[in-house]
Amino acid sequence: MEALDRDIEDGELELPSEPMMLNMGPSHPAMHGTVRIVLELSGETIQKADVQIGYLHRGFEKMCERGNWTQVFPYADRLNYVSPMLNNVGFSLAVEKMLGVTVPERCQYYRVVLGELARICDHLICSGAMAMELGAFTPFLYFARAREIIWDIFEEETGARVTHSFGRIGGMAKEPSRFLKDMVRAGVPRVVKMVEEGEKLLLKNRIFLDRVEGVGAISADDALALGWTGVCLRSTGVPYDVRRSHPYMTYDRMEFDVPVGTAGDNFDRFMCRQEEIRQSARIIDQALDQMPDSGPVNIDDPRIVLPPKEEVYTTIEGTIQHFKIVMEGIKVPAGECYSYTEAGNGELGFYLVSDGSGTPFRVRVRPPCFASVAGLQQLITGLMIPDVIPTFGSLNMIGGECDH
Amino acid sequence: MATIKIDGREIPFEQGDTIIRAAHRAGIDIPHYCWHPGLSVAANCRMCLVEVLPPPGRPALSLDILRWDAGKDAYVPDKKPKLLPACQQACAPSMEVLSESSPHVDEARAAVQELLLLNHPVDCPICDQAGECRLQDYWLEHQRKGKRMHQEIVHKPKGVVFGPTIVYDAERCIVCTRCVRVTAELAKDPVLSIRERGNLGEVTVSPGRQLDNDYTLMTEHVCPVGALTSSDFRFKARVWFLRSARTICQGCATGCNAFLDYDPRDNKPYRHRPRENLAVNKYWMCDDGMLSYGRAVEGRLLSALVGGDEAGIDDALAAAKDQLKGHGNDPSKVAIVLSAQHSNEDNFALVTLAKTFLGAGDFYLSGRPLGRGDDILMSEDKNPNTRGVMQIASTTPPRPIAELLEAVDAGEYQYVIALGSELEVDGAQAHQALSKLKGVVTIAAHDGSLARAAHIALPACSWAEVDGTYVNRQGIAQQSERALRPRGDSRPGWELVARLARALGYAMDWKKLADVHRAMAPEASARAFSEPPPAPGPGKGQNAEHSA
Repeated sequence: MEALDRDIEDGELELPSEPMMLNMGPSHPAMHGTVRIVLELSGETIQKADVQIGYLHRGFEKMCERGNWTQVFPYADRLNYVSPMLNNVGFSLAVEKMLGVTVPERCQYYRVVLGELARICDHLICSGAMAMELGAFTPFLYFARAREIIWDIFEEETGARVTHSFGRIGGMAKEPSRFLKDMVRAGVPRVVKMVEEGEKLLLKNRIFLDRVEGVGAISADDALALGWTGVCLRSTGVPYDVRRSHPYMTYDRMEFDVPVGTAGDNFDRFMCRQEEIRQSARIIDQALDQMPDSGPVNIDDPRIVLPPKEEVYTTIEGTIQHFKIVMEGIKVPAGECYSYTEAGNGELGFYLVSDGSGTPFRVRVRPPCFASVAGLQQLITGLMIPDVIPTFGSLNMIGGECDH
Repeated sequence: MATIKIDGREIPFEQGDTIIRAAHRAGIDIPHYCWHPGLSVAANCRMCLVEVLPPPGRPALSLDILRWDAGKDAYVPDKKPKLLPACQQACAPSMEVLSESSPHVDEARAAVQELLLLNHPVDCPICDQAGECRLQDYWLEHQRKGKRMHQEIVHKPKGVVFGPTIVYDAERCIVCTRCVRVTAELAKDPVLSIRERGNLGEVTVSPGRQLDNDYTLMTEHVCPVGALTSSDFRFKARVWFLRSARTICQGCATGCNAFLDYDPRDNKPYRHRPRENLAVNKYWMCDDGMLSYGRAVEGRLLSALVGGDEAGIDDALAAAKDQLKGHGNDPSKVAIVLSAQHSNEDNFALVTLAKTFLGAGDFYLSGRPLGRGDDILMSEDKNPNTRGVMQIASTTPPRPIAELLEAVDAGEYQYVIALGSELEVDGAQAHQALSKLKGVVTIAAHDGSLARAAHIALPACSWAEVDGTYVNRQGIAQQSERALRPRGDSRPGWELVARLARALGYAMDWKKLADVHRAMAPEASARAFSEPPPAPGPGKGQNAEHSA
């Protein structure tokens, strides 16, 4: 049978059509957390995108003003809940900056080790979830299995797998366990091996590569203008890493590279994360070698650090110290400070204001992915619907810290 | 004016001032336990030790001591200045005092603190004082170390009943003798004393006596630690949950300045604390006043009553309009009863209603009957605002309630509009007399003989639930601050007067307290507090002498 449209010109095939509106999310498996993107489509091409956040807004900044400074830690845990330890460390450093104290070396190394472990988890989940949403379920299992090794270490150290609330102002909740070094030295190489295996499944896979390479690209200038930090910024070729640019704790003693991309596309973001996992493993290795096996973890100031529990129960001095810190809170001198660290997604900043009492007057968080998500609209406009998935995935939006 | 220097800061002093008193007046806190501005100087706690520099050209008083030298692993001879108690040392012109800035003073305070806690039990979790305890505050400020003694502490009696109001815990006592001085100097009833010495020292009651004068709770109030506790407040609340309002005690015409401590969570008052006012009550309150806080919520009239049955306020106002029908025909048939129990604002509202709108000119005064007084604080007049009412109705002085009943019996009145619930006459007699009238409306905070005798009673807020002005026996108008949220249906008294007026068809359009204050003579309403009240939270509560 002859084709009916034999004599018709190509252009005449186009049917006149209205743009189609499509809601992605807030309840959608690929919309991490809860975010909603209103798309205006022409066929499958995105003509306009409106990214709407705020579905996970709990008002944690306001909640912080109710309790004392120490009681902020559980809230900090739930900012970026994929790497809570980095938030804990960031908040501790901010309050310590206001108090003008520095924790002992052993604690600094401890924080570096736990923080880098959390960073590995963060990158693993971002990369794994992104691959899974592109149909590559197996690498996700490899990465989740690798994360499990780290979570076991966290469980052993802190007693909790996900939200540890392990940081304390002036130290950590507990000192490192006897097995820390052995566990980490045995665990991290296994993690790196699994990461490499998972990666191999992806990097020769045409489907994966076609959907990430050259998709969702952004220039370094645009990324800087949007206030991007972290992996998203480094993938465009800007080597800004707080650990290197403004070293804190013992990062200035560590040898590590800051991987940067060239194109700023999904592939570069993926590869930067993969490389940072290996760099974190390097840092952990050095920190374990340099970390003293004994010595104090917490600073020696009864106005800041709780006494050992047995002293609270048996001596009046311990009871008083405990009472003053728990009931009245640590007295942070009146003033304000901005303190920032390299978290899983980039620069995590805490802007704190104290009125001199035991309760924060104001806690303002600069969540790194807030700026990243602000650029999503620009990244996906002009792409196709399926491109939204890897692009959004590679930005690593975490609702807990973004919605504030 | 002559001055001294404390840590380099120059402060003035008056003739006869001690260092601590001059510092206290200048707002400098020198830590102390046994010194109290209202009591004599004992200088026994040694917490206020300061270093006084010698006059120019004179050698310093110094002591030869042995100091532990960790480097040499031995004691080495050394010198240190002789420190003086700031509470006892009189100021002299150009004297230079080192308090915070002297390492010797720091060391001495840490040592005193260590000794005071040497035998202290681990009681904070069960101690009423926790949160407002000097031992806690000063440990963190001045010691911050554990003690070096590891032996079992000396145990002493706990839960010793001193009298109907006070329970004593000898283990917590630091033997500062503040309570002993209160009984001797304030109550003039020296019933407490110290027995034994050193770590066996404890407070004891005279044999055959109890601590049962009218100022027993002041011993608890001045106790800087948790040794003396009030049986009334014991184990009732934790102080960090309480908030304070600056109120005026309603117990008598003295008008003692008080803090009413209440828990905003359950809207209940928990205790009174004296608030320093040197013109009225100095640092003190009597036991009756201290325990009168409960009246803010006890015995209250919480809903309107119409003929003894509960009703909504709007229904009661409609019933009042009915009963008072015809009052306009002959204003001389209306009697107005003011209340010495209510604030100036409430009484002023009723006087305004009577004079401006009703045209009534016959005023009577209700209140509690006379009681026991003394020459310390307690007045015989048990009403907080007698003088205020007399001032407000000065052109038509109110007459005693007994005369009202006589006049009612004589048939002079048909209507009574009243404020207050208490009468100094027999309730049954009043009930019988008033029952003959066409209309009797009262606005009352409490359930009393007048509230029961009235045909219609409207529930007013108690003093703790509304801002108000009270004029004490000296004629000082004092502001009392709102603490609690109104209970039940109760509303401020002046508001009920205005609503009653509107129900009767008069244009009395006061809606806010400020409206009332605008209409009042400025001297009749004390100026509102400009500063927020101090929270009695941890570390601030008992130190009332600092906060005032």
